[in-house]
Amino acid sequence: MKRLVRPGSFPVVFLACFLLLAPSLLQAGGQKEDDGRVVLTTYLQKDPANPQFEGHNAVMEAFAEAHPHITFRHEYATGEAFHQKFQAMAASGRLPDLFTTYVGKRTAYITETGRVLDLRPYLEQEFLDGFTPAAWEPQGPEGEIYTVPPSMAVCHVMYANTAIMDELGLTFPETYQELLDQVETIRRAGYYPISLGNRDQWPMNSWLLSVLVDRLGGQEWFHDAMSGQAAFTDRPFVRSLEIIQEMVAKNVFSPGVNQMSNPEANQEFYQGRSVYLIDAGWRTSAMTNILDIPQQEAIYLGTFPRVDGSVRHGSSAAVPSEGFGLNVNLPQDPRKLEAALEFIRFYKGPQGAAIRLQHGEVPSYTLDYDDFDLPLLQRAYAEFQVNTPMGYVIDAKMDGEGMGILNPAIQAMMFGDLSPLQVARSYEEWVAANDSSRVGN
Amino acid sequence: MVETRDKRVSYYLLLLPALVIYLSVIIFPIGLSGVLSFTRWRNFVLTGFVGFDNYLVILRDPEFHRALWNNVQIMLTSVFGQIPLGVLLAYLLFRKLVRGTRFFEMVIFLPITISAVVVALLWNRIFSPVGLYTNMVRVLTGNPDYVVRIFENQDWAMVPILVVLLWMHTSLYMVMFLANMQRIPSSTIEAAKLDGAGEFTILTRVVVPSLANVLFISSIFAISGSFKSFDLVFAMTGGGPVNYTSVMSIYLYRHTFTFNNFGYGSAVSVIMVVISVGLITLTRWIYGRVQKKYD
Repeated sequence: MKRLVRPGSFPVVFLACFLLLAPSLLQAGGQKEDDGRVVLTTYLQKDPANPQFEGHNAVMEAFAEAHPHITFRHEYATGEAFHQKFQAMAASGRLPDLFTTYVGKRTAYITETGRVLDLRPYLEQEFLDGFTPAAWEPQGPEGEIYTVPPSMAVCHVMYANTAIMDELGLTFPETYQELLDQVETIRRAGYYPISLGNRDQWPMNSWLLSVLVDRLGGQEWFHDAMSGQAAFTDRPFVRSLEIIQEMVAKNVFSPGVNQMSNPEANQEFYQGRSVYLIDAGWRTSAMTNILDIPQQEAIYLGTFPRVDGSVRHGSSAAVPSEGFGLNVNLPQDPRKLEAALEFIRFYKGPQGAAIRLQHGEVPSYTLDYDDFDLPLLQRAYAEFQVNTPMGYVIDAKMDGEGMGILNPAIQAMMFGDLSPLQVARSYEEWVAANDSSRVGN
Repeated sequence: MVETRDKRVSYYLLLLPALVIYLSVIIFPIGLSGVLSFTRWRNFVLTGFVGFDNYLVILRDPEFHRALWNNVQIMLTSVFGQIPLGVLLAYLLFRKLVRGTRFFEMVIFLPITISAVVVALLWNRIFSPVGLYTNMVRVLTGNPDYVVRIFENQDWAMVPILVVLLWMHTSLYMVMFLANMQRIPSSTIEAAKLDGAGEFTILTRVVVPSLANVLFISSIFAISGSFKSFDLVFAMTGGGPVNYTSVMSIYLYRHTFTFNNFGYGSAVSVIMVVISVGLITLTRWIYGRVQKKYD
């Protein structure tokens, strides 16, 4: 029988195997600490090549300069791919030292399964006091803090084009009724009243329903609804849906609101075809880049006008942005833990916040904005955050699967296929049977 | 005797790699899906066996009914739209009943070379509320509120997608049928013509029967492809508005990868496999009956 392998070829086979395995061996071996350096492994939902992350890159460079003994072995992913791999990591119990963590339900697969370190014992009160109070909403059932939010994601701003308002002799509406009264004037002049792109179904929930529910029910009612002491069939929720339905019926939104993507709605507003835009607060960053100075000067940042029966006035809705969580096993290696905490203090604290502010972000760490030369709309957004009370964003507090019931139902209601009460009932029914805030994990 | 045994061993050895690949890539995942379909998951953690609960919930879910009906519409469009139209276009080109056949071959085949996502973006660009078509109609009619309302109608929202599917995939069938038509001996066509057959008779009595095999294969492609439809629908509408254009694969995707309920998603996938295999078996049976008739 012919031999499959010639006797002299074993070294060649060995060398080939070694070359194939070398990258993996090097990577595995490279995670060890030596010569006093601490190496932290990360898995971050960022794309450093994207100009949007210039601020992040600048903070990382500054940190590397100030802390040469701490180095990182980064792994990046974005979008749904990030979560899919992260879920697999969590399931296999192979989480890195530091990773992107959301305050809400988005990364519940790590925060609600005991895989993230509660930072409360490790962060000094003085450090915590430096942040806007809205950043410290509880992140777990016992008030845990899994991540330090670098900024607040403000999910409701009612932008107004004051140039068109001046042309039509209008002022920013104080009440909801005033807004309805403006519709005829605006439409007669050939403009659309409000642009909002709800093609993806969640914007109407995040950007308008959340703020209406906060106004009509307040945070206390929302807590009760989460725990089952109140229900989503109660007046605050149903009335909020009724307002959206009424706005559709009275042509407050531009036509095809449920066919229009978010960028398309923005374009409509930028091109001066609508008077108002309901969108997230971070849109100011895009406006700064896209619009010329006179256009920027004409934009006013307000909130939805006062609604009859409100318990809160002038509020917006916000959710703390995703930050960095630490592996629950990190305290077993005190040097790594201290390095990771130092990184978090630098990134989220005054040094990192100042760098990020200069790159267009509005950090949750409070800074004196007069010390910085900020673009017009970024300053307006920063002041908006300081001066506006913030309510909850529904889809950040409730389970994502329930949004699969609520969001399409809102669209069906806007088409006239469901009533507000039917929407509320279908959502309440789902929450009562399934939501983790009612039935636990 | 020894030779026969050696031969048998050789057969098994030669078969083994393919069998291992088939078992690990096809049979194992299907089997695992079957097992997973009896479980419930939360936050990527198995929370327990739920028996047939997932199946019962799916079969009672109106969103699933709609997704299934939308898949049936896609299947009907494929089998009774794309295939007959493909035969007709191929016949026109085969018999050179139009001028510039090369040009038409290229133009008709073009859509299949474009990615489904690009096609979806293109159509969305045209028909969105700020799209070219919508703006043109607004200008021409003086109606600033005009939008294409068919997208918002729960009974008709699938029509634009079906039109795009028809436009995209007919060309593939046309090319398959044209290639097979070109294998029909020209003497057969000539003989039919000498017997006084017109184009319609040649098409129905000569050409279509000779395409029976390829028509059967095309039907299987059309049926199985219809139940897998995802990319174009997802890019065009994402299943919306509401869930008016949802299909089973989008329903499966949302429950599996957005809501992380792998048990529920697996149950949907098992239902999809059962429906596809059932329909393909039905097609085989119909084909068998038709073939017997022609024999």
